[in-house]
Formats: sequence, structure tokens, C-alpha cells
Amino acid sequence: MPGSQGRKPGGGTDARRASAEVLGSERLPGDHQRLLLKAPQVARQAAPGQFVHIWCHPPDEIGRPPGSALLRRPYSISRLRPPDGVEILLRVRGIGGRILSQIPKGRLLDVIGPLGNGFRIRQSMRTAVIVAGGIGLAPVPFMIQALSSRLARVVLLAGAASDGKLPYRVEREPDKPASLPVLASLGAEVEFVSETVEGTLVSDLLEQRLDALDPDSDEVMAIGPRAMLKRLAAITEGRFSLQVSLEERMACGLGACRSCVVPAANGAGYKTVCRDGPVFYAHEVDWERLQP
Amino acid sequence: MSGPDLSVKIGAMAMNNPVMVASGIFGYGDEFRGLADYGELGALVLKTITREPRLGNPPACRTAETPAGIVNAIGLENVGLDAFLAEKLPAAMEYETNIVASIAGETPEEFADCARALDQTEVAAIELNISCPNVKKGGMAFGVDPEASAEVVAAVRAAAAKPIVAKLTPNVTDISSVAVACETAGADGVSLTNTFSAMVVDVERRCPLLAAGMGGLSGPAIRPAAVYRVYQVAQAVAIPVVGMGGIWNANDALEFILAGASAVAVGTVLYADPAAGNRVLAGIREYLDRHGLAKVSELVGSVSIPHTSG
Ligand SMILES: Cc1cc2nc3c(=O)[nH]c(=O)nc-3n(C[C@H](O)[C@H](O)[C@H](O)COP(=O)(O)OP(=O)(O)OC[C@H]3O[C@@H](n4cnc5c(N)ncnc54)[C@H](O)[C@@H]3O)c2cc1C
Ligand SMILES: Cc1cc2nc3c(=O)[nH]c(=O)nc-3n(C[C@H](O)[C@H](O)[C@H](O)COP(=O)(O)O)c2cc1C
Ligand code: FES
Repeated sequence: MPGSQGRKPGGGTDARRASAEVLGSERLPGDHQRLLLKAPQVARQAAPGQFVHIWCHPPDEIGRPPGSALLRRPYSISRLRPPDGVEILLRVRGIGGRILSQIPKGRLLDVIGPLGNGFRIRQSMRTAVIVAGGIGLAPVPFMIQALSSRLARVVLLAGAASDGKLPYRVEREPDKPASLPVLASLGAEVEFVSETVEGTLVSDLLEQRLDALDPDSDEVMAIGPRAMLKRLAAITEGRFSLQVSLEERMACGLGACRSCVVPAANGAGYKTVCRDGPVFYAHEVDWERLQP
Repeated sequence: MSGPDLSVKIGAMAMNNPVMVASGIFGYGDEFRGLADYGELGALVLKTITREPRLGNPPACRTAETPAGIVNAIGLENVGLDAFLAEKLPAAMEYETNIVASIAGETPEEFADCARALDQTEVAAIELNISCPNVKKGGMAFGVDPEASAEVVAAVRAAAAKPIVAKLTPNVTDISSVAVACETAGADGVSLTNTFSAMVVDVERRCPLLAAGMGGLSGPAIRPAAVYRVYQVAQAVAIPVVGMGGIWNANDALEFILAGASAVAVGTVLYADPAAGNRVLAGIREYLDRHGLAKVSELVGSVSIPHTSG
């Protein structure tokens, strides 16, 4: 490895970059892979909603240009496994995800993180309603972990196109809403809907419950497809504080290259997803100009 | 430890070593702070600025990955001269090495206005981005035309005493003639190449992947094409040449140096390895040691092309 300062690739001085050992890698349904990394620098500092930027190739080969997956890949921190374990939940979609999903236990990964701004927890908050769709579920375990220890109540409204698209087992019992036991066990009241079984969108679930929420002490935190986020922004506008996590293609992941920008509200130019986000208050974003 | 002499001069800018960071890659320098010892490098070129702030190209998306490269269409989004001087430059100056400002404009006067203001600062040199291929009205028009390029250089020369480096676009038929025009107009050095104009098509949506339609290709994919252009330009001018385009390691950097570059810049590689510049520098040092060379300058342009009859 270039540089010789212990596990730090390239001899950098920044605690944000480290070689993380893959402690475990597990195939989950719906083309998902769960990676457990030993990343003390991430585990120590991470807030839910933050991400790590991962180099997909072996750290000691970083001096050789790869033909594919040249850029790092951003993945949310999915869950903390104390003392220094960090889980990533990825859905294999392209080349980078495929490479990462095949990395065996014991290998090292060059990881920069935690990056960006996560979900904010206000002093006056009592209830957090997490609305998550599809792969938006990735950071939800960490969110529940962090929120349930500080708030009176954490509700998770989760949705997916079908049960099979989820990395988690769905529990369906008569006369009860469907649930995701793995996430419920972390300390959230869970209600799950799939478009194929319940035929409901998760944004509709939130709409139904909105009247029962208190704008002063309750907050909605959302992560998932843009269409879902847009809908939630419209539903909550002027009524509830909404935080959303956005995705955009990145190069640096550090706020330098201006690749990952989204339009800011009130014509205030652009904000970077990687540094100003990925979590924004809905009122910071210009939803009209935001690409679908 | 007395190693080989790595020092390089571009006009009055003295560098401890020939490894630079290319413009636009790491913004105004602050965002990457701490991810490597950037102060160890010869010079850091900051993101191109313009007299007025620019919003750049539309988002979603601005950067696409391609085989061994990336295509970007940021569109010179920048904070503008005033905010640069007030907020960005002071932070960048904290690096203990040469800070180079990069400027662009739609007229020679805009370049000159920026240069005049920068001449009053601590920047070590001014790079003229006459080559950015992303802006419809901007750089392209100058960099493809030797006369227009010379006009910009002359306007800046008249406005500033700092060393001037003209950054050339590869998207021309005869890059040497542009380089010669810049040299004649008073440039202290030329840097090349900027990105190669490029397009990525999203076949499902049947439209360009980049919101701007087209962009510029960088990364290892362009390296051999960039090395050749550096070779051509180095044959044509006497001023120092800064070579860049796809440099990933010391071997790549040495290709540029042997082809005629006095200095080199790392760009896209920093997105994978923020410490790539330091890695390249260490590798150049190791190469000089291994070949028993006292000075990096001995290598510059020393590639010998065998004469073949045909
Ligand atoms: C802040 C953030 C957090 C994310 N968290 C997760 C997560 O926890 N789990 C998960 O499965 N995915 C997550 N994603 C999406 C993930 O980054 C992409 O799926 C991944 O980059 C795709 O890479 P690939 O090589 O597999 O796909 P390819 O399609 O081969 O990628 C090609 C290029 O496009 C980029 N790209 C493609 N899709 C996306 C996307 N949706 N967002 C950003 N860049 C993209 C890639 O990074 C790469 O540069 C997150 C994205 C962001 C921005
Ligand atoms: C995201 C991005 C932004 C860039 N911005 C600028 C810029 O503002 N000014 C400039 O002169 N060159 C800019 N460039 C070009 C680089 O400085 C460099 O010339 C080019 O990328 C080739 O080198 P590389 O292959 O090592 O990246 C940019 C390149 C990238 C990838
Ligand atoms: S990825 Fe470079 S600014 Fe966000």
C-alpha cells in the first residue's frame, strides 16, 4: 500500500479515509448484499443519513487505473454494529455494486466517510415518522437505532413495489398491518405496504396519518424514490417539518466538483447532495426544478 | 535525506517538484483538505473562476462514468471573482505551496479584469482556461483559434505581472499552432490537455445522459491522446509545458515528462485516490533514484523516437 501510516491509504492525514476490513458479506433477497465493515472512524462519528464513499477495487491496487468502476460509489450507512462495525446494504444494480457484492470476508476496502449531513434530531422532537420506499430502506436500521434511543416514539412507514424486492422478511397477520420484524425489533412501530399486495403507496399511508400528528413535536423523515419524495413534500408543505434524503451521481463526494447538485429553493443556486445533503429540509429544495 | 532535484520553474513560479493538481478537480482546495498532504505538491490549481458568478449547467446529471474515464459537464459553476477573493482564496493560501488561480471569460477584457485583481494577491501564477469545452459562449471560441487565444494571453499579459499559463484544449486540428500563438503573445507556460469533447447516450430514455447534452472526457481513457499532444506542443514551443490527461501513477506522469512536459497535473484520479499526487511524486523520486538521475529536468523531452524509413 502506498504510504505506510498503518491502515491509512496514501499516507493521508484525514481520519475520514481508511482501509476497512470486510467482516462479513451476506446475500439477501431482492438482489441485496449486506456488508459488515470494520470502520472505527465511521462508527465513531456517523449520524444516520450519512454515507460512505467506497473504492470498489482492492486498496493496494489503487495505483493501477481500473477499466470500470473508476469512481467511488456512495452508500448509506445502514446500521452500526458496536464497537466498530458498520453495515452497508446495497442493491446490486451495476458494475460497482456487483464487484462489492462479491468481495470475500477478510478483504480490505478503501472507504471515505462518514460524509454529508444526516438527519437532524431537534430538541423538541417527540415522534419521528420515517417514510421509506424501496432501496430507501438501506439507512433505516441506523435511523431507528439512533432515533429510538432519544425519542418517545418512532414510526416506520415502509413501501415497496413487491415483497420480493425487499431485503427483509415481511410478516402478514390477519387484521393487522403488514410488518418488517427485523426493523420493528430495533424499536419502531412498523407498517409496510406493497403495491402488489396492499395496492397502496407509502405516501398515501402518511397522508392518512397526518391529522394525528403534532407539527410542533413530530417530524417526518423520508428516503426513497424521487416521485415519492416529491409527493411527500407536497403533502407536508406548510404543515410539517419534512427531511428528505436525496441521491445524485457523484464524483468527489466532498463538495468540490459540483457534480451532484440539486436546485435550491428561492433561486439560491444549487446545493450539493454530497456535502450540503444528502439530507435536506424539504423547504431547502426547489421541487419544481428538481429532476424526476 | 538529499534526494534528486525535482524543482521546476514556470516563469517566476518556482515549484519544489513537478506534480500539480489540475483545475476544477478539487474545487477551491478546502473540501479535500486533510485527505492528503497537498502542501507537498508543486502547485495546486484552483477551480476556474469568472468575473461574475456562474450557475453552470443544469443538474441531473453532470458527470457520467465511462470506460476508464468520466464525462463531465459542470459548466464552470463558480462563485465569481469577488467571493473567490474574499472567501475561497484565503483558505486555499493556507496550503504551503504554490496556489494557481484559473480564470475564464467571454471576452479578453473579462480575463484581464480577473487577472488584474489576482495580480494583487499571493497567487503564484494565473492559468487561463481558454479551453473549457462545456460553455456555449465561453472558452471554446478562444482555445480553438490561435489568434483568439493570443488575444486573451496578450490582454492578460498587459494586465498582470504574474506568470501566465495558457491551458489548451485538445479539440483542435493543430494544437501546436495554438501553443505557439500563446507563447508569442507572452505566456510563460502552456498546460494541456483539457477534456476531450464527448457524449454519452442513455439508450433507455433515448437522450443524452448529461443534462447539457455533451461534456468533456477525462481520466485514463484520454492519456495516450494527451501524451501525444504534449509531445507535439513540446516540439513547437520553448516555454515549459504542463502535461495532464489521465495520469494515474508515476509511470503515467513519466510518460508525459519524457514526451516533453516540465511538470504534470493529476485530475480525475483524485476522485478515486485523493492522495494520488503524493503517490505520483514518490514514484517519480523512486524512478530518478533507480536510474541514478540527479535532476528531473534531465528527463524532460528525452523520449527518443526511432527513425523509421518508409
Ligand atoms: C447519498 C447516497 C446514498 C446511497 N445509498 C445507497 C444504499 O444504501 N444502498 C444502495 O443500494 N444504493 C445506494 N445509493 C445508490 C448507489 O450509490 C448506486 O446504486 C451505485 O452508485 C450504483 O453503482 P453501480 O456501479 O452498481 O451502478 P452503475 O449503473 O454501473 O453506475 C454507473 C455510475 O452511475 C452512478 N450511479 C448509478 N446509480 C446511482 C444512484 N442511484 N445514485 C448515485 N449514483 C448512481 C454510479 O455511482 C456510477 O458512477 C446511494 C446513493 C447516494 C447518492
Ligand atoms: C469535474 C471536472 C471539472 C473540471 N473543471 C475544470 C475547470 O474548471 N477548469 C479547467 O481548466 N479544467 C477543468 N477540468 C479539466 C481538468 O483540469 C483536466 O484538464 C482534465 O480533467 C484532464 O486531466 P485528467 O484526465 O487527469 O482528469 C475539469 C475536469 C473535471 C473532471
Ligand atoms: S460529488 Fe463532487 S460536489 Fe458532490
